[in-house]
Amino acid sequence: MKREITITINGEPYTATVEYRLLLVDFIREVAGLTGTHVGCSVEGRCGACTVIVDGKAVKSCMLLAVQADGAQVMTIEGLARGDQLHPIQDGFWEKHGLQCGFCTPGLLMTLYEFLKTPKHSDEEIRAAMSGVLCRCTGYVHIVEAVKHAIAKVEAMTPEERKVWFPQ
Amino acid sequence: MPNVVNPWVGQSLKRKEDRRLIIGDGQYLPDLVLPRMVIMGLVRSIHAHAKITKIDTAKAAALPGVSAVITGDEFATWDSILSDLSTPNLPGETKRPVYWPLARGEVKYVGDPIVAVVARDKYTLEDALELVDIDYDPLPVVVDPEQALQPDAPRLYPEWGDNVLYHQHITAGDASAAFAQADVVLSERFRCHRTGGQPMETRGCLATYNPAEGMTLWLTTQRPHIQRHLLAEYLKIPHDKLRVIMPKDMGGAFGTKAPLYREEMIACHLAMKLRRPVKWVETRRESLMNVGQGRDQIHQIELALKKDGTILAVRDKILADCGDARTAIYVGFAMPFLGAMYLINGYDIPVVDIDLTCVVTNKASLTPSRAFGSFAGRFAIDRIVELAANALKMDPVQIRLKNAIKTFPHVSAVGVNVDSGDFPGAFAKACTALQYEQFRTEQAEAWKQGRYLGVGFCMGVEISGVPSEVLVPMERQPGFGVATVQFDAHGKVQVAEGDSPHGQGHETTIAQAVADELGISPEDVYVTYGDTHSGPFSAGTIGSRGASYTLSAAVLAARALRPKMSRIASHLLRVEAAEDEFEFRDGHVFLTRDPTKRVPIKQIAEVALLSPTALPPGMEAGLEHTSHFEAQVAGMHSCNVHAAMVEVFPDTGAFKILRYVAVDDAGAPINPMVVRGQVHGGVAMGIGNACFEEFLYDENGQQLTTTLMDYHLPSALDLPYIETIEHNVPSPHTPLGSKGKGEGTPGMVPAALANAIEDALRPFNVKITQLPLTPERIWKLIQEAKRK
Repeated sequence: MKREITITINGEPYTATVEYRLLLVDFIREVAGLTGTHVGCSVEGRCGACTVIVDGKAVKSCMLLAVQADGAQVMTIEGLARGDQLHPIQDGFWEKHGLQCGFCTPGLLMTLYEFLKTPKHSDEEIRAAMSGVLCRCTGYVHIVEAVKHAIAKVEAMTPEERKVWFPQ
Repeated sequence: MPNVVNPWVGQSLKRKEDRRLIIGDGQYLPDLVLPRMVIMGLVRSIHAHAKITKIDTAKAAALPGVSAVITGDEFATWDSILSDLSTPNLPGETKRPVYWPLARGEVKYVGDPIVAVVARDKYTLEDALELVDIDYDPLPVVVDPEQALQPDAPRLYPEWGDNVLYHQHITAGDASAAFAQADVVLSERFRCHRTGGQPMETRGCLATYNPAEGMTLWLTTQRPHIQRHLLAEYLKIPHDKLRVIMPKDMGGAFGTKAPLYREEMIACHLAMKLRRPVKWVETRRESLMNVGQGRDQIHQIELALKKDGTILAVRDKILADCGDARTAIYVGFAMPFLGAMYLINGYDIPVVDIDLTCVVTNKASLTPSRAFGSFAGRFAIDRIVELAANALKMDPVQIRLKNAIKTFPHVSAVGVNVDSGDFPGAFAKACTALQYEQFRTEQAEAWKQGRYLGVGFCMGVEISGVPSEVLVPMERQPGFGVATVQFDAHGKVQVAEGDSPHGQGHETTIAQAVADELGISPEDVYVTYGDTHSGPFSAGTIGSRGASYTLSAAVLAARALRPKMSRIASHLLRVEAAEDEFEFRDGHVFLTRDPTKRVPIKQIAEVALLSPTALPPGMEAGLEHTSHFEAQVAGMHSCNVHAAMVEVFPDTGAFKILRYVAVDDAGAPINPMVVRGQVHGGVAMGIGNACFEEFLYDENGQQLTTTLMDYHLPSALDLPYIETIEHNVPSPHTPLGSKGKGEGTPGMVPAALANAIEDALRPFNVKITQLPLTPERIWKLIQEAKRK
């Protein structure tokens, strides 16, 4: 069973005729060729490396069929920066050594993108926000620091800047 | 020595590799695509031990989009995988399993690959895998290592006559005499469960072949050169016709990507057979069934002490469950062997008697996992020392200080060389951080209020690279670090290293070190790796050898370029000056006695490469050097102390880690931020392994933990803030004093936590002898203690 669908990823529409069983993550990686989104647990929904933003919400793209996202606005790690300017969460990860192998990083960045829209501040709340994504390298200590770095930047933004950095 | 003021080494520079990784431009194995590429998958055994009575592949082969379905028969003309090249050459009695890339006739564990299917995409592949029909005749199963030793136990390899894979008796001094003289003897049995690695990226490969150029294999591996060396033998391809490449990025490994596995052999074979690129990406389920299963040991350990706490001798009967042991290079027993050699670790114990028995069972083979063999042993030794402290009513810190290695260099009773370190200093920092003395008062007060707080310590030495003296017999590989440093025509410096970093930060740390040697910026240094056809031969990224061996090779290679650069500068400046009369800094070569005379380093590179007519007469063009670094000592180490402070809740057995303090020795850190990251990650893996993670099998050998829901990797909520404190003692054997960091770190954790929990529960007088440290296990110990 196949159907033609259109999914807009990082502002660019991708139209393809796909099998119903095609996962959204495979649409992103194989149809759109955006390989920044990773698969870490082979569709168990536990590792979170495949997390993307769908219509403003962070979702695990291995848990959704591509046809379910027909017509949706999707944002992936490739859509975070504005030209050479990094998103505050990317900047935080770089400044605070929030990554080692980088494999879980796309999922963490997209999960934390959603969190940063209405950030909370305690370590416990930051850790809770990222607990859906597993990292095996860092022990999360530097990631918490990266998030705090990003929170400070986001809270200093003007409403106009917020619109630029949080389009959905 | 370099005559520059070091501006880069020691700085916490942001990592160069991060720029691509935070914008989604990493290049991992699953991202690779080639024209005409097909996807491989495997049908694996559902039985732990069985004869295969029928394999029906017809339906799968007939499915549109399927290009091949093969069974073990395909490899009937192959020699068994394990050869002399791929088996450790250790002293002791060794046996060797006979096996092929796909099972032939019999399966030995749940997950054993039986049929390989190749299809045009992974969805078609899934359909085809389900159409393969296999009949089994189940055989008796052995999943318990002690049962495996029984005379009537089922045999994995009947030709052996028993299930003993490896046996080694390691002795130093007269144990019987030492135990006879002891004031106190302690004896305990410790069980460390099956746990270990599990990187976030699973294994995978992409093989492509043509007869003229041969095979190119992209592989998730820590050691491309070694895999090429072995694969050439198995595939019977000339070495020059086999190129192995670790992709630019790899999602962690932690030891699990050090062995050569059957899957890449199958993919290579199919690429040759089909003349199409064949890609395989392991599923998480397959990963949990096959790799990262480590530890899994029983220690029957005895300690002989004097009344004053001096340890006279240790005796340990170690039984290691190696699973089916069918893993090239390690064969299941290399890890327990090294663990036995490192049992006494940071303790200066003169008399040792270790009997190591490694058995095979119907479980997945042990594979290397960060801390290599020393996780279970570290638990056993630091637990029995804790019990000794209790028996002698000594403070746990004092008993450790009394028996810790005091003078360096130190050669342990079993011959492990520990080059440098400072245990008293490390303990002092840990105790200060914890306000240890004050804590004892708070603890007593808390007990009165029905709260249970405790503190626990672990101390130990961590390998800083593995020398050739150890690696040659253990893995038939050299231990040297190697790097080629070469200027390009634009004055930038390429460092081609032999290792294959995948998160350790070499692109940054090696750039920092080389920049200092040459007086340039790390921005002008780029590090390349991973391709057997463009980098020097080396053992790969293993055993914390990056900052110790590989970086040292890069430093020496860069240093070796300076005399030639000085001669070119002297020629261009038209001054008479010896090679050592120049300084390298700020991107220039300066004449020391008259710094107004200087040449940009970029210009020197241009002369050496683009306009060699300007070189001094007779000088060879080019500016490059390769160095092989081997420490002039049979082992380098760092000495560390970790401490945990916990609160235990006796009603449930749950506990909370209130503080975790890691005092670590990185010699002279190249990039302190990167070192902290290594310690954080190592402690996190140690906590995960010690508390949450366990590979479980039922009595039939069925694997029960094949999803991340069952094999619980810790999330951010499961882990405490990890405090890192530097206590650095520069290595006397590396050019910059640097030491490797990260490999041994998880081994510190289980004893530190168990000691802390036991300390908190002193009013109940419990004794922890088993891992993992689950609330259920702790609750049961409390209930048993209450009944006594």
